[in-house]
Amino acid sequence: MIGDRILGVVLLLLAVVYGWEAAMFPEPFGGSEAVGPETFPLILAVILGLSSIYLLVRPDEDEEWPHMKMLAELGFVLLILAIFTLMLQPVGFIPATTLMVSVLCWRMGAKPLPSVATGVGSAVVVYVLFNFLLELHLPAGLLKLSGG
Amino acid sequence: METLNFLLQGFSVALTPENLMFAAIGAILGTVIGALPGLGPANGVAILIPLAFSLGLPASSALILLTSVYAGAMYGGRISSILLNIPGDEPAMMTCLDGYPMALKGRAAEALAISAIASFIGSLLATIGLVILAPILAKFALRFGPAEYFALFTLAFATLGGITGKNQVKTVVAACLGLMIATVGVDITTGNQRYTYDILELYEGVDFIIAIVGLFAISELLFFIEMHAGEGFKKVALNKLNLSMKDIIQVLPTSLRGSVLGFIAGVLPGAGASLGSFLSYTMEKKVVGKSGYFGEGDPRGVAAPEAGNNAAANGALVPMLTLGVPGSGTTAVLLAMLISLNIQPGPMLFTQNAELVWGVIAALFVGNLILLLLNIPMIGIFVKLLSIPPKYLMPVVTLVASVGIFAISNSPLDLYFMIGFGLLGYLLRKLHIPLVPVILGMLLGPEMEKSLRHALTLSDGDWTVLWSSGLSVGIWAVAIAGLVLPYLIGPVLRRRMAAAQDKDHSIVD
Repeated sequence: MIGDRILGVVLLLLAVVYGWEAAMFPEPFGGSEAVGPETFPLILAVILGLSSIYLLVRPDEDEEWPHMKMLAELGFVLLILAIFTLMLQPVGFIPATTLMVSVLCWRMGAKPLPSVATGVGSAVVVYVLFNFLLELHLPAGLLKLSGG
Repeated sequence: METLNFLLQGFSVALTPENLMFAAIGAILGTVIGALPGLGPANGVAILIPLAFSLGLPASSALILLTSVYAGAMYGGRISSILLNIPGDEPAMMTCLDGYPMALKGRAAEALAISAIASFIGSLLATIGLVILAPILAKFALRFGPAEYFALFTLAFATLGGITGKNQVKTVVAACLGLMIATVGVDITTGNQRYTYDILELYEGVDFIIAIVGLFAISELLFFIEMHAGEGFKKVALNKLNLSMKDIIQVLPTSLRGSVLGFIAGVLPGAGASLGSFLSYTMEKKVVGKSGYFGEGDPRGVAAPEAGNNAAANGALVPMLTLGVPGSGTTAVLLAMLISLNIQPGPMLFTQNAELVWGVIAALFVGNLILLLLNIPMIGIFVKLLSIPPKYLMPVVTLVASVGIFAISNSPLDLYFMIGFGLLGYLLRKLHIPLVPVILGMLLGPEMEKSLRHALTLSDGDWTVLWSSGLSVGIWAVAIAGLVLPYLIGPVLRRRMAAAQDKDHSIVD
């Protein structure tokens, strides 16, 4: 119940902001037409607004949501993916991938040693596959610098 | 005769050594993807699109590769239904009912072989149906004007929840979200910026491939972690295959009936593969009557839903190719691929890109034959894949998905978007908001808005043009029925499907 109600409020806000912005679009160059850039978004805003009110009035049963600990865990996974993205270009593909895959395996319940092995293995295999077989260049990063 | 000529031309495209190789690679990859736990067909095809894309394959080869993956994933999906009692996707649910009991009785290999044969018959007949029906529908669709197309797009969303859909409002919400994402970027007609907030990367809009991979693959990773499913599931051991001609002949009529029903369900909007396999199964139970032992491992109970769901999957290609309106999640992903290859599906596809479209149809025939030949002798290898624990598999899949996204434009921003969509996908799934309409909204949004504009420009701003022809009134009527009927029929159908499952489970336990 509560899940759908929160969703309803968020969607209603979204519909209002989205529709309001559409109404504020500057008039297109060459004068207005029957259907301007704002018409379609306005229709969507109305439909979404009505649907979100329905969700507020008649919410479904809630799915079981994870506890705080699990939420932190899931947040950590997303953070690891973000760190991977951040490291990808400056540090290079192989170290970034090794880190990401190892940590993910570990968080999914694997022991540390096999996790790191999977990380290194998949990083090297994918790197070789992409750079030499498919000729798509992945960032080499620090490895390139040290390799001369 | 004309069709036959086109088809022959198609085979000349599909049978070049290069394309034959792509079909074989696709079939193997697809089976692997279908068999691996946690990777459904839609998911698998989505992950491979950016790769096929960045390899710079010619359009026909890329399409042949990915349609073979699609066909292969349907084959692979039943492996987990039969051996783990876990359906890879919703349509595979009915296969569990008799497949798993057969496996428990030590006839797992037979169940897999029978389902391969039934899948082959289903796909084959449905592809023949596609060859016959698609050109007719395409010719008919040439009469559609922009108003009819606008109604048709609405119909696609209205019927997406399917006749068994639970909460239609949530389908509407999902479609709105997708359409709203589609409006981000520079407006094609007027050049106005919409919702870009002066961020340069948003000018071209949000790439739906990134959204698909994020929504499906990344959210799946989060679900796996939440379920603590890292260790994998217990599977039934595989016996040595002992299949006689008699067994095959016994399931032939079943497969034929299932294929026809499945194909019809696939072509019709709003029915889809789940209903196709459910209908074939229940009909088979009625036809066979008392002599059957459905739910306790009757081979016909494996053949019927498998023929049904494979036929429906190919039947769903009919509206996708001829009208540009996909009827299921996986066909939506295939549509995404067409659009990213700069091919606009619709009636013109059959005249403008005849070679391509017939090449793909021919590749479906070839792919299915390869799959049948692959699947019977090599089933043991694919079964082994089920023993890879997800704790190692899912991180590597995530890696492959990320690399694919990164390879599109070498931009880290795309990856951040992918992560964001992953979080969004997780939240939406938790709130029972379906993901497929979101994707479909992103895909169809630009075309839908364009047809609305064309229609209203032609009529000088008169909105009644949208329902002024008999054809468009008919489409609107079906669309409204698609939205309202589930409230009337849905609960009954859902109860029956649940009852069928409960009953069979009580026998198993």
